[in-house]
Amino acid sequence: MAWYKKITWWWLLATVIILTVFLTVAKSDPFWRILRFVSDGILVTVMVTTTSFLLVLIAGMFGGMARLSKNKFIYGVSTLYVELVRGIPLLVQLIWWYFAFPIVIQQIGRRFNMPSFVSYQANAYLMAVIGLVFCYGAYMSEIYRAGIQSISKGQMEAARSLGMSYFQAMRYVVLPQAIRVIMPPVGNEFIALLKDSSLVSVVAVADITRRGREYMSTHFNPIEVWTFIALLYLVMTLFSARIVAIIERKLER
Amino acid sequence: MEPIIKIENVHKHFGEIHALRDINLTIKTGEVVVIVGPSGSGKSTLLRCINRLEEYDGGKITVDDIPLDSAENINVVRREVGMVFQSFNLFPHLTVLNNLVLAQKVVRMRSTEEARHVATKLLDKVGILEKADAWPSQLSGGQQQRVAIARALAMNPKIMLFDEPTSALDPEMIKEVLDVMLSLAKDGMTMVVVSHEMGFTRAAANRVVFMDEGSIAEEGPPEALFGSPRKERTKLFLSKILKHGL
Repeated sequence: MAWYKKITWWWLLATVIILTVFLTVAKSDPFWRILRFVSDGILVTVMVTTTSFLLVLIAGMFGGMARLSKNKFIYGVSTLYVELVRGIPLLVQLIWWYFAFPIVIQQIGRRFNMPSFVSYQANAYLMAVIGLVFCYGAYMSEIYRAGIQSISKGQMEAARSLGMSYFQAMRYVVLPQAIRVIMPPVGNEFIALLKDSSLVSVVAVADITRRGREYMSTHFNPIEVWTFIALLYLVMTLFSARIVAIIERKLER
Repeated sequence: MEPIIKIENVHKHFGEIHALRDINLTIKTGEVVVIVGPSGSGKSTLLRCINRLEEYDGGKITVDDIPLDSAENINVVRREVGMVFQSFNLFPHLTVLNNLVLAQKVVRMRSTEEARHVATKLLDKVGILEKADAWPSQLSGGQQQRVAIARALAMNPKIMLFDEPTSALDPEMIKEVLDVMLSLAKDGMTMVVVSHEMGFTRAAANRVVFMDEGSIAEEGPPEALFGSPRKERTKLFLSKILKHGL
């Protein structure tokens, strides 16, 4: 076997981690300072990503089932949602949720005389999570739809013929099989979401990216800051990719 | 004997195709009815209407005095009607035993212990108990179909529907499935079977229904229908399948 095939992806992750640790230890000014400064941002990035992703998994499940609904209204609404959301850049959506949505709420409050609406203030984290879930939910719906469609119709029929309701058949028969099929794309979505979460830095969420920018604006050292931030993202994405690969192998049985 | 399935004036369209034309059929408790006919004659469609896997667009079907008209009634009827498919449709993510346990728990609300007890007994009955912990993909076609029959029986159905249960099987496995079906018939189960297995039909059927182009062309006891069919198209069809010794 060629030498480069023996290098498993764990080695790449290990190298990136070692490099990051080496920099912070060997050259603690500025890297240790940067790490200390952005560490709360790491937590924010992890929290925003995982919260959004859990909600995306649920939203995508219902979205995917709605896209396969025989009910024309449910099908129509879900299809419109998917088509519209996929056509708008995520950054524009995030900006809309943070800057435009609260004003819409306030104006509705004024029109219908609802004081709690008039005084509505957007919570940056909440709006960021809503924006990410709204957008990624559409992509995830399509992944679920494809996964459910890949399970033969006979499975649903067998479950229904045993007296299970549609939702029981979905829960116990179709979805458990579909999850195996969709696991690779779902894992990719998680990593994409982790990276795209950097966009929330634009809408007042103090994630790693925003904290990095704050540090740079007072210390004026873009090379060190952004190289180090890139390394931190790499540690997280490469680590996630390994976890996804392990789960995939487990599910294959 | 009481009629348990009543099919009255049932019609069904697939787009332009008139798949079922004014079907009338009454099946009594304990009766074994075999439906034969050329492909595309509507026999599987009719069978699937009995537990409403297929919707029909005219007429009325009543199973065990329950009309198939509301979602609730349909689920009640499906609990009483077991179905066996041509392609087995075992749940591949569950072991053989759990294939039998699942619906007992979530539909019949049985405890795990009770469901396993019932499942074990039925796997023994269809002669496949040693495979209880195997995965469906590890079984031969004949074994899978026997598990599928056991899975349906675990719900204690009053009626069993068989949709070409041996058509997807290799010849040497057909007998093991037919043997299980014969013993079921002997036990007095009400059965509606779409199949061209002449041996089974002669041995077990009380009545044979011959369908052609979406309607029932002729029906009667197997000796009468096979021995002296009244209609020309029945003769033609029988001559074709009997010649090939099916």
